Amino acid sequence: MKNLLTATALLMATTGLTHAEGVLNLYNWGNYTSPELLAKFEAETGIKVTVTDYDSNDVALAKIEAGGAGFDLVVPSHSYVPIWVEKGLIQQLDLTRLPNHGNIAPEWMDVSWDAGRTYTIPWQWGSVGMAVNTSVYSGDINTSAIFLDVPEELKGKINVVPEMTDIVSLAVLYVGGEPCTEDTAVLQKARDVLLAAKPDWISMDYGATERLSNNDWAASVNWNGSTMRARLANSPVAYGYPKEGYTLFMDSVALLSDAQNVDEAYKFLDFIMVPENAAMISSFARYANGISGTAEFMPADMQTAPEVMIPAEFAAAGVFTPTCTGKAQEYMTAIWTELQK
Amino acid sequence: MADRAFSATRLPGFATIAIGAFVMLYLPIITLVTYSFNATNSISDWGGFSWQWYVKAWGNDTVKDATYTSLVIAVSAAGIATIVATLAALGTTRRRAFNGQTFIYVIINQPLMVPEIVTAVALLIVFGVIKQASGYQGLAYLILAHAAFCTPFAYLPIRARLEGMDLSLETAAGDLYASPWQTFRHVTLPLLAPGIMAGAMLAFVISLDDVVITEFVKSGGQDTLSTYMLGQLRRAFTPEVNAISTALLAATVLLLIAFFLLTRNRE
Repeated sequence: MKNLLTATALLMATTGLTHAEGVLNLYNWGNYTSPELLAKFEAETGIKVTVTDYDSNDVALAKIEAGGAGFDLVVPSHSYVPIWVEKGLIQQLDLTRLPNHGNIAPEWMDVSWDAGRTYTIPWQWGSVGMAVNTSVYSGDINTSAIFLDVPEELKGKINVVPEMTDIVSLAVLYVGGEPCTEDTAVLQKARDVLLAAKPDWISMDYGATERLSNNDWAASVNWNGSTMRARLANSPVAYGYPKEGYTLFMDSVALLSDAQNVDEAYKFLDFIMVPENAAMISSFARYANGISGTAEFMPADMQTAPEVMIPAEFAAAGVFTPTCTGKAQEYMTAIWTELQK
Repeated sequence: MADRAFSATRLPGFATIAIGAFVMLYLPIITLVTYSFNATNSISDWGGFSWQWYVKAWGNDTVKDATYTSLVIAVSAAGIATIVATLAALGTTRRRAFNGQTFIYVIINQPLMVPEIVTAVALLIVFGVIKQASGYQGLAYLILAHAAFCTPFAYLPIRARLEGMDLSLETAAGDLYASPWQTFRHVTLPLLAPGIMAGAMLAFVISLDDVVITEFVKSGGQDTLSTYMLGQLRRAFTPEVNAISTALLAATVLLLIAFFLLTRNRE
């Protein structure tokens, strides 16, 4: 009985929470939001931000679609943004309420998933490339041949992250196609290359930061931010940008259609477009942001990091995987299933 | 004069299998606990002893909030589940056998059979509608959902206890002119108490553990320790997660020891 009473009392106490003045509910990837950023925002505006975690785009989408989850802002990946828009789950931004909108770097303004940035504000972006321990292999690392035509020195020592879209896209780019292709001849080639290379891989697993740092793996297909952390722990680790093409991702903040704290949400969106604040996001999660003039506010080890700042000669090869059609998705899944066998 | 009674301990390979089973069960936990004391930020490379990850977890407000949410849900859900389970256990054992008894068992134990993800998606949809209609997004949804799947875990030990109790004591109380309520209050309930305690603790631990249903039902600011840890998955794990797990483990073990001591004195 006591428990019941406690429960009821607690319920009463929490009821008002989500509607109270000066609060904001951010629904974001786990361990992706800088606590210092939130503290600074609260100090400046008096708005208390509550962060709730998710670990996949699909879970986030399913929860919001079910309705009534009580969030104001969400941070979907680029290829999911069109789905959120199409389903009417996020609302168009009133740009007059965002004076700092012009701080978005020109190259991140007219992106394929949100031309003119009328729905989403950049949060962080990164790439998937080749992390290689150069004391084991000293050849060219700016090629997907690192994992698709494995050099002798790396055979049995290279890992591949189990991310379907990125891996299949890298293989398709390697054989001269475009991500999300429905061209069966290209897909056939990509599949053959993947299956032929697989015996040379040690594993298809996460946790590359650790395993590259302690030399369990000599190489891995990996994210740039994770590779930077591995390099800081184990200096021969370097990051290669495949010249045949590599994949990019960007997570952006969007305002939910059923947001209850809209004014607070606008304040937050404007706040994170101030270069100094965007830099705080980056220095926490170690990925680049999409705001101009943040470099000087970043930690020194990030300002010069070749993993974060893409060298100009490799910039053109980066591709954002688009939102694939159902058919393309089916082909990709079929190749992936065969690869997992 | 060989003892011919069957004994599992004398089967060939008993010791090997037993040791193997213990190693499989406890080695990962020992590894997890060990690395929670690591001086470096690696979860697989030993760099010396340190308390730093405990200090860090202790100072982490997100972890504190999540712990608080976990405890509120677990205490409330276990409380509700135990009351419901006790009533259900009395209702299914202290009466004549009736038609549809098996059906009732199945209904009560349904959360044990249905895959958790199915329940989670179903609750997501139903609660989504209710949340929109009522505008209420508090912890009640999580508490109710947890109480529902914790009920069978509380029910099983309580029912087992009731079935193992000597009915003649209750009959004797009735013979001595005790009213049904007096019999229940002074005979059945005290004898049943260890079962209820066991049920409540099991329900508490199950609620504390849950990830899938919580992930789907939670609203803003309702991360529990389990969903917080799940959220770390895509980024870099640090021994902070090990430290939190170890603390959780220690709390569970302490609870079990307390329970063991309590029930041992009573018997």
